[in-house]
Amino acid sequence: MNNQGEQRVLKHRLSSRLFHWGLVLGFLPAAITGFIIWLKPGSEDFVNLAMRAHIASATLLTIAVIIYSITTMDRVVAFIRQISEWTQHDLKWMMVGGGYAHKIILKKEIPVPPMDKLNSGQKSMGIFMFHGGIFLLFSGWILYAFIMVVPKTFVYWIDFGHLWIGLFLGVCTFAHIGLGIYNWADFKAMFGDGTMTLVEATHHNPLWVEHKIEPTKKTTETIIAN
Amino acid sequence: MASYDYVEKAIKVSRREFLQVVGVAGAVLWTGAYVATDLVQDRTKYIKLRAKGIYQDDVKAKVRQSHNNVALNKMYQTFAQKPLSPLSEELFHTRYVDRTKLG
Repeated sequence: MNNQGEQRVLKHRLSSRLFHWGLVLGFLPAAITGFIIWLKPGSEDFVNLAMRAHIASATLLTIAVIIYSITTMDRVVAFIRQISEWTQHDLKWMMVGGGYAHKIILKKEIPVPPMDKLNSGQKSMGIFMFHGGIFLLFSGWILYAFIMVVPKTFVYWIDFGHLWIGLFLGVCTFAHIGLGIYNWADFKAMFGDGTMTLVEATHHNPLWVEHKIEPTKKTTETIIAN
Repeated sequence: MASYDYVEKAIKVSRREFLQVVGVAGAVLWTGAYVATDLVQDRTKYIKLRAKGIYQDDVKAKVRQSHNNVALNKMYQTFAQKPLSPLSEELFHTRYVDRTKLG
């Protein structure tokens, strides 16, 4: 058991961290190549290469989503629960943008409502990614594999939705990455060993710390022994 | 190996939640697979019917060479001038499209 000030909590377990790597290696290249395909900034060969990378990364993303959903259904359920539960805290948090504008631009902290494991901004991102991501996966595979057999009007609207929802989620993802790096402790937890100090977790996710975590077996034994 | 003192409590997935997730995923995948296979089957059926129709027309046709086809010759005389004329090229000839270019 670590000292009081150095106590750590496992925030992201291995399966969730691996899935996040799946998103980094699958969704991120798909988003970047999606922008290239849309804007066509280079030669025809360059855009063609971008489309091939887009398909390859979408394949990786699809595999990651399927494996994570099957092997870690409890986390999927927990995620759906989290993004579906909105309280007055969330509305108040959204009204002040989580205090991030104050922190980043004005360099001062304002009181914000206590958050669970996901703050309200992450919940919004979760809602967009969950529904939009499913749409992108299905529409993408329809455009890739079934374009010759589905009605042209349907293809037009599927393509329209794939483009604009993809662009929206791409922009959201870049904002998510920026704020993720800003929250360095959580970023290190997600791409490191999954842990952060209890102090940091209490600062960002007080409701989660209060209600949803418990001491490990080893910690409990140490507490009893002392 | 990560060292930590606290861990998130186990998530208890209720039977209702399990059925919701599996049910929605199953329904979406089953419907998608059904629609996809139905579309492909329909497409194959129409291609076969079309090929069959063309073969039947060929069997019944008295004139089987285009240069002996009276209607075709009349069309060239009155409209498209001659085979490979600029107008014929424009109207009847397809162009190669490189389908490996995806972007």
